[in-house]
Amino acid sequence: MERLPVRPRDNWREVAEEHGFTFHTPDGERYWDETHAYRFTLREIEDDLEEPAEELEQMCFEVVERAVGDEEVLGRLAIPEMFRGYVADSWRNRERNLYGRMDFRYDGTGPAKLYEYNADTPTSLYESAIFQWVWLEQAMEQGLIPEGADQFNSLHERLTGAFGRFGIEGPLHLACARDTEEDLGTVEYLEDCARQAGLATRRLFIEDIGLADNGRFTDLDDEPVRWLFKLYPWEWLMEEEFGSRIPGSGAQFIEPGWKAVLSNKGLLALLWEMFEGHPNLLPAFFEDDPKAASLGGRYVRKPLLSREGANVTFVENGRASTGLDGPYGAEGFVRQALAPLPSFDGRRPMCGVWLVASEPAGMCIREDESAVTTDDACFIPHFILD
Amino acid sequence: MKRSSRIALVMMGTSALTLSACEEPKTDTAIFETVEQCIAEQGITAEQCYGEFNAAKAQHAEVAPKYASRADCEADFGAEGCEVSPYRTNAGGSVFMPLMAGFMMGQMMGGRAYTQPLYRSGDDGKNFRTANNRSVGGAIGRTQVAERAAGRPAQKLYTQQRGGFGARARATGFRAGA
Repeated sequence: MERLPVRPRDNWREVAEEHGFTFHTPDGERYWDETHAYRFTLREIEDDLEEPAEELEQMCFEVVERAVGDEEVLGRLAIPEMFRGYVADSWRNRERNLYGRMDFRYDGTGPAKLYEYNADTPTSLYESAIFQWVWLEQAMEQGLIPEGADQFNSLHERLTGAFGRFGIEGPLHLACARDTEEDLGTVEYLEDCARQAGLATRRLFIEDIGLADNGRFTDLDDEPVRWLFKLYPWEWLMEEEFGSRIPGSGAQFIEPGWKAVLSNKGLLALLWEMFEGHPNLLPAFFEDDPKAASLGGRYVRKPLLSREGANVTFVENGRASTGLDGPYGAEGFVRQALAPLPSFDGRRPMCGVWLVASEPAGMCIREDESAVTTDDACFIPHFILD
Repeated sequence: MKRSSRIALVMMGTSALTLSACEEPKTDTAIFETVEQCIAEQGITAEQCYGEFNAAKAQHAEVAPKYASRADCEADFGAEGCEVSPYRTNAGGSVFMPLMAGFMMGQMMGGRAYTQPLYRSGDDGKNFRTANNRSVGGAIGRTQVAERAAGRPAQKLYTQQRGGFGARARATGFRAGA
């Protein structure tokens, strides 16, 4: 694994516009950055990232299996009481899932370490699947990177295939919150994939969802919502006004309810409890677990439901530094052993491995200057070349 | 190869524009205001006319748009253009829907149209509209309509309330995606 300077394509902004990539420079801040790229060997990709992601996914299933059979575990994950049956049913009914992203610490030496699993509402998807792919093809064509390079990126064909296997009849509704260009971009892309899978689609904002007299959710044309892809976290849906109507709505959600177990930082503690010593895991404990003391004075304190690094505290040698302020923490914390992001020329890459229908499907690298990867990170393309 | 062998976008970006510029295919059907008009049309039996009319009428309450007040309904479908639906509001009040103004014949006319009720809006009274609010022209008798407009109409529920999701996104200021 190495970080290489690459000459950007002269016309990449035009190419971006042509491909509907509208949020490459949000609020004037660089997000898509092709002045560099990360090169991996095929062995690094397959042995150190792809295989571990596949194995971790199976371990995650064991965690879900345990959680849905144990009220106490669902309680530790702060899943509201009235949703515990719903979450368990979604798992027992084998409701299919679409995608997720595991974020790893990896530097090319030693095993990748799982920081967390964005199993419910991951973004950076479009740029991973499409724009990174286009970059690779054009960069080779223009001689900016060597011929014969490859990329860990079968996202597009896997997403399209996965949509076709849900058994969706009638329209698929896709929703995100208003006023977020990046979330909208993700939903637009997934809608495009669903269309290519032959589905009829309707897009709406989560705020526009209505409730009919028969308990069904409706779109703005008062048509019933039977299949809903929602780029909106389960823990928010559960707490909002319509939340209590979800179990009786007859709507199938993508991601399914059981993803609430995985998109929760409590997952990290449960994984360590069940698979202690696994090479791809960092030691992690619920904060009220006496074993948390074994981490000593070097750990990261994460709220169970934190987003974008909010309310995450780094503790090292008794010194604590908190990243972004946010509203999280009341639901509880986990402590995870400190494993700082590696530094490449002072930049800190996070390796996100994508899963589609629970199979490894690609990778994205987001780079930040700080120790916590936040919404300000840049997207750096990667290629595989031995 | 570790990457997709091909990618495609059908809606995003500029390629999507060229697709929507294609002409819409049309399909054969017939449109009538009444069963009598239908029976008068050559080549269609009375039995067929009653069958199609009844099939359309049976869908009417399910697929017609729903309104919480007669005034709201009449604003879209004109004075005297609405009736009480079998639905009820939370408070037990009436829910209104437009009167059925005609019906479209289905596949017996040799095309791909779906048998369904038709409506007339207040601001475009010359033309018929489907329950999905697509204009299918003003002609009575045999006609051609856009295939997409002639498909099976969707069920329309009476939405009691909106806005029950989205509060946390507004309150936290964090993106829902991550």
